Amino acid sequence: MSLLLITLFLLVAATGTGVVLTREPRRQVLALAANGLALTLLFTALQAPDAAFSQLVVGTAAVPLLFLVALASLRLHGPPKEERKE
Amino acid sequence: MRPRLLLALAAALVLVPAALLLAFRMPEFGAHPLPYGDAATALMLHERHVTNMVSGVNFDLRAIDTLGEEIMLLAAVGGAVMLLRGARGEGGQRRAAAIPGRPIPRRSEAVVLLCRLLAPVTLLFGLYVVLHAQLTPGGGFQGGVIIASAMLLVWLGEGYAAWRRMLPGPLLHALEGGGAALYALAGLAGLALGDAFLANVLPPGESGSLLSGGLIPLLNLGVALAVAGGFAMLFLEFLEETRAPEEGEE
Repeated sequence: MSLLLITLFLLVAATGTGVVLTREPRRQVLALAANGLALTLLFTALQAPDAAFSQLVVGTAAVPLLFLVALASLRLHGPPKEERKE
Repeated sequence: MRPRLLLALAAALVLVPAALLLAFRMPEFGAHPLPYGDAATALMLHERHVTNMVSGVNFDLRAIDTLGEEIMLLAAVGGAVMLLRGARGEGGQRRAAAIPGRPIPRRSEAVVLLCRLLAPVTLLFGLYVVLHAQLTPGGGFQGGVIIASAMLLVWLGEGYAAWRRMLPGPLLHALEGGGAALYALAGLAGLALGDAFLANVLPPGESGSLLSGGLIPLLNLGVALAVAGGFAMLFLEFLEETRAPEEGEE
C-alpha cells in the first residue's frame, strides 16, 4: 500500500469521524459532503473511476442538497424554533 | 456510566476481536484471486469492442440487473414525488418562500457569473460522460446525475422562478419514464429476434468508436435519460417544498 493510499484512508476516517462528531445539522451536511469528497479521492486512487464519479455526483452534490432543502423546509413549515441554547 | 456507553462497550468486546480476525484473514490488498474480472475483461474487449469494462458488465453481462435498478429508481422517485405532492398538491408558484422578518439577501454577481459559466460546461461534460460510456469511465448514471446538477446550477444562478420557467415538470416526467421505457423496449429486441431478453443483438462496431458495443450505447442512453429526469424531478419536488404556500394551502 502506497503512502498516497494510506493518507487517503486516514482522510476518509478523519472526515467520517467529523460527520459523527458534528452536532449542528447544517454543518453536518457539509461534513458529509467533505467525507464524500474524500471517498471520491480514495476511489480515484484505487483506480475505480466509475465508482468515484458516482460518489462525487451523488455524495457531494445530490445528497447534501436534499438534506439542505429538507432543513430549509423544516424551518419554513415546522413548529417555531425554540431559542438557541448557547 | 450511561447505558448507551455500556452497550457500546459490550458490543465492542465481541466485535473488535472479530473485526481484527477478519482483517488478518482477508486476501492481500489489491489482489484479485477470482477469475471473473479477467474473463469479463477479455470477453468485453474482444467480443463487444468495449473499452470501459464497467459499462460492459452493467449493460451487457448483467443488463437485467441494471433494468432492475432502473425500475427501482423509477419507483423511488415516483414514491418521493407522490409523498411530497400528497401534502402540497400539484400546483406551483413562481416565488420562493421566506421566513417573516428575515430578508433574502440578493444573489451576488459572482455567483450568477459562475453559474452561468459552469452550467453549460457541466451540461456538456454530462453529455460527454453519457456518450462515452462504453469507451471511458462514466456512463448513463453518472452522466445523468451530472446533467441534473447542471440544471441545479441554473436554480442557483438564476433563482427559483427562472428555473421553473426553464424546466417544465412534464418534460422531466417524460425523460424519466421514457428512459426506463427505452431500456425495457431495447431489451425486447432480443426476444423479437429469437434470442434472450436484453441479448446484445446489434453488431459490436469498431473498437473506440462512439457506436461500438452493439446495444450498450442504446441501453446507456435509456439509463441516462431516466436518471437525468429522475434526479431533476427529485430536486424540483424537494425545492418546491421551500416555495411560498399558495392561498388556502396549509
